[in-house]
Amino acid sequence: MGNLKERETIKRPPGISRRDFLKVSGIAVMSVRFAGCIIPGRSIPAAEGYLLIDTRKCQGCMTCMLACSLVHEGFESLSLARIQIVQDPFKGFPDDINIAQCRQCEEPACLAACRFGALHVDSTNGNIRTVDPEKCVGCQECVKACPFAPGRSIWDFQENHAQKCDLCAATSFWDGQGGPGGNQACVTFCPMKAIAFTTEMPVQEGDEGYNVNLRDGIWQSLGYPAD
Amino acid sequence: MSGYAGKILRINLTSGVISELDTSLYEAWGGGHGIGSAIFWEKVVIEKQVDLSAIDGFHEDNVVTIMTSPLTGTLAAGASARTEVQGIGVQTYPFEWFTRSGFGGRFGPMLKFAGWDGVAIEGRADSPVWIDIRDGEVEIRDASTLWGLDTWEAQEKVWEEVSGGTGYGSWVEVGPAGNGRKSTQRPAVLTIGPAGEQLCRVASLIHDAGNGSGQGGFGGVWGSKNLKAISVIGTGTIPVANPESLLETRRWALENFTFSQDEFEPSMGMWATMPSNFRSFPVPLLMWQRTEQCRPQACFGCQAGCRCRYDPGYGNESSCKESGYYTSMMMGSQQVSHLASLQAAAGSQALPLKDLAADDAPDVSKQAADLAQQLGINTGELETGIPYLRELYMMGVLGPGREIDCDLPFDRFGEYELVERLLTMIAQREGIGDDIAEGFTRAALRWGRLEEDLQTGILNNCHWGMAMHYDPRVSLEWGYGTVLDARDINEHGFCPLYMIPTLSQYSGKGQPVTAEEFAKIFSERMVPYHDDPLMLDFSSANMYSEHVAKLVAWHRHYSRFWIQSVLFCDLQFPDFFNWAAPGYRGITGEGEPRFFEAVTGRELSFADSIEIGRKIWNLDNAIWTLQGRHRDEVQFADYIYELHPAEWAIFTMPVNENGEWTYGPIGERSIDRTQFEEFKTRYYGIEGWDPDTGWPTRSTLASLGLGTVADELENKGKLGQE
Repeated sequence: MGNLKERETIKRPPGISRRDFLKVSGIAVMSVRFAGCIIPGRSIPAAEGYLLIDTRKCQGCMTCMLACSLVHEGFESLSLARIQIVQDPFKGFPDDINIAQCRQCEEPACLAACRFGALHVDSTNGNIRTVDPEKCVGCQECVKACPFAPGRSIWDFQENHAQKCDLCAATSFWDGQGGPGGNQACVTFCPMKAIAFTTEMPVQEGDEGYNVNLRDGIWQSLGYPAD
Repeated sequence: MSGYAGKILRINLTSGVISELDTSLYEAWGGGHGIGSAIFWEKVVIEKQVDLSAIDGFHEDNVVTIMTSPLTGTLAAGASARTEVQGIGVQTYPFEWFTRSGFGGRFGPMLKFAGWDGVAIEGRADSPVWIDIRDGEVEIRDASTLWGLDTWEAQEKVWEEVSGGTGYGSWVEVGPAGNGRKSTQRPAVLTIGPAGEQLCRVASLIHDAGNGSGQGGFGGVWGSKNLKAISVIGTGTIPVANPESLLETRRWALENFTFSQDEFEPSMGMWATMPSNFRSFPVPLLMWQRTEQCRPQACFGCQAGCRCRYDPGYGNESSCKESGYYTSMMMGSQQVSHLASLQAAAGSQALPLKDLAADDAPDVSKQAADLAQQLGINTGELETGIPYLRELYMMGVLGPGREIDCDLPFDRFGEYELVERLLTMIAQREGIGDDIAEGFTRAALRWGRLEEDLQTGILNNCHWGMAMHYDPRVSLEWGYGTVLDARDINEHGFCPLYMIPTLSQYSGKGQPVTAEEFAKIFSERMVPYHDDPLMLDFSSANMYSEHVAKLVAWHRHYSRFWIQSVLFCDLQFPDFFNWAAPGYRGITGEGEPRFFEAVTGRELSFADSIEIGRKIWNLDNAIWTLQGRHRDEVQFADYIYELHPAEWAIFTMPVNENGEWTYGPIGERSIDRTQFEEFKTRYYGIEGWDPDTGWPTRSTLASLGLGTVADELENKGKLGQE
């Protein structure tokens, strides 16, 4: 944990939010210490795959979470699933369900927050933003840095490292190819087809680029709103 | 063994002692009901030597178990969500049987993620309490601020408490600060409402908006224990023996046996899903008109949500009984009556999706559903009980200043004001609400009307004082199964036997297969009776036969293991006839053991699984025997021995006449008292029970490894004669 101790000596200037500070300081430190990872002055390469969701089509069964943890960890877990379904049974449609999937951001705050090269761009797997658990020191800055709620970089409290969606590039318990060029467990096992994969970068601003209409005429014939 | 969390939470509310049971000691029972019955037997009958004939469900010695299965919380399709509740119930009449109930949602999975396979509740707290489970940390807490709240308010209050006031929408720390365990999930809370607090025999346990454990009156049992709620949040893991096999089995099951959004045929209407079991579409079973703005909502891990959440939020997660108990205004069996109206309306036309809504006042229906969920009242009682009250009103017996004096505004039937007043009276035990809180059978007894109204059938409670669901005179496996069990069985596995040929006929589509093939599709999976397709002959000539006795026995054994212990959803399993599968052969027989083995690592043949079910069924019968059951008590209400009304629906079903299979009309008939006695004798013979008493015998119990159960029965003079 020596690196972590070293990090804690970096002080946040007054008047700057913690998240902004971590973002800036993280990038600065990374640029110095891990110049091999990101070339200063140039943005990181875009991911070659993204998960699209349709929160109005989700039935809240949480199959995606079960599939995610099973293919990655070999057991079922809600807390370690890299996609999260948050729902309130008493709320009215469509505000009762939120799907929290990693957006593979063009400018990922989680990556910016990591000063140890653990959260990195995996150029061998379509430039996905993913975690190398061997390099993770457990500072959880990436977990805190994700600007979305709930955060998409999650803390594996059992193994003491961060982890996040890798588009199923590294699934020890699932046959076949994953990653941007393969299949993703949440997409494959969602019984509603409420999650889809695309190679085209969604609009980064807001949710509209990611939360799309995956409903069709069949959906409408089942008596549900298609638009 | 994989799949299990490894321990069962044991809570004594009298002493406040919290302890653990080792699940591995009970794994041979499978899970759920099997483990619940084993714990009840061990703790109540053996350890405490409680005289079961002397206590009722409200007694402090009653133990209530809330159990999951090894498949709970996994990707096992249709088996991930349900939770089994057992104990001595307070609803059935004249005996308060040891009985069961169940509910879906996410409570069971969350219990597993917290590291518990179940909870066994003993004793009675001095004052209202709730149980706070956060992974391995368990606390019995003061519920004085929850007591009096409705079920939704209580859940929201508990959520707020467990989150530490942070609310939900992001990651919430679970357990002691700084331990790193987090969840985005609200705790799963199972709670009673005001009806349970008032010890109503019609009180249910409610979880989230619309998951209810109603039958048995366990809400009232919890009330008697001063137990308001159990809350659980879990951040742990559920071990899976063979993850790749589980993933492959799920893929195989869904691809080959379930709906495809590409194949849905709108003209089949809502009923396309009802008789389809595992193939069901994500379309709810509703008695109200669905609005456009809603989504299907599924239990944990399920592939086809069978209820909805709506804009603006009325009616969330309610379906079937809750959706129609008030405004459907139907006497008797909802489905049968519905079918009759369909036949009249549809002729040979296809049935469009929304013509099935029986209700012109969806908002009232939804609000009425919400009210029953919030007060925690069992709509299975209300569905036939409200038409009974209305009948008494129409007869001039019930109403202001009448024999049954009440100010219920029956002249405004169908409006929200009436149902709100009625349910509030029940939950608060006001006026005749105090009578109805005892259940409609006991209310009729108080009013001096029970015998007469069970003869005429205006009180539609035909077995153990519980409401008729499917008519025993027609749906033999349902009726016989119920009267031989301890509650309305509510198992839909054989509904396609009557629904598919009937709907095929009335939709003008023709029968998909011959009657002989149709019967065979069912019988060939029914080991060890798989060579006897006459089990599926529901003709009047066959209705008391050994063939039908085998059907009932198989159904009880299958259900005890796969539905109530492994906790496959009863709307999906067993799955015999399946429109999506080659040759219409559903997943049953192959699917259940495949999922079971993938999760647990235990290879289990389908035949062996039915034997475990038989073992559980025998243990249950031993408990009922100690409670006082005798074959003479196994009877329907008088009206069932009278003719089934001709105006009700006639099902089209496979029948065998003189050795030839055909589809024929089944409906207008009664159950004959004498021949029903002969049927019971045949049935007890198949079970290896004493035909004179219906009690289990030593040889049968010993063959199932239950020799000690035989010893206990013998000690108490209740062992059946060989």
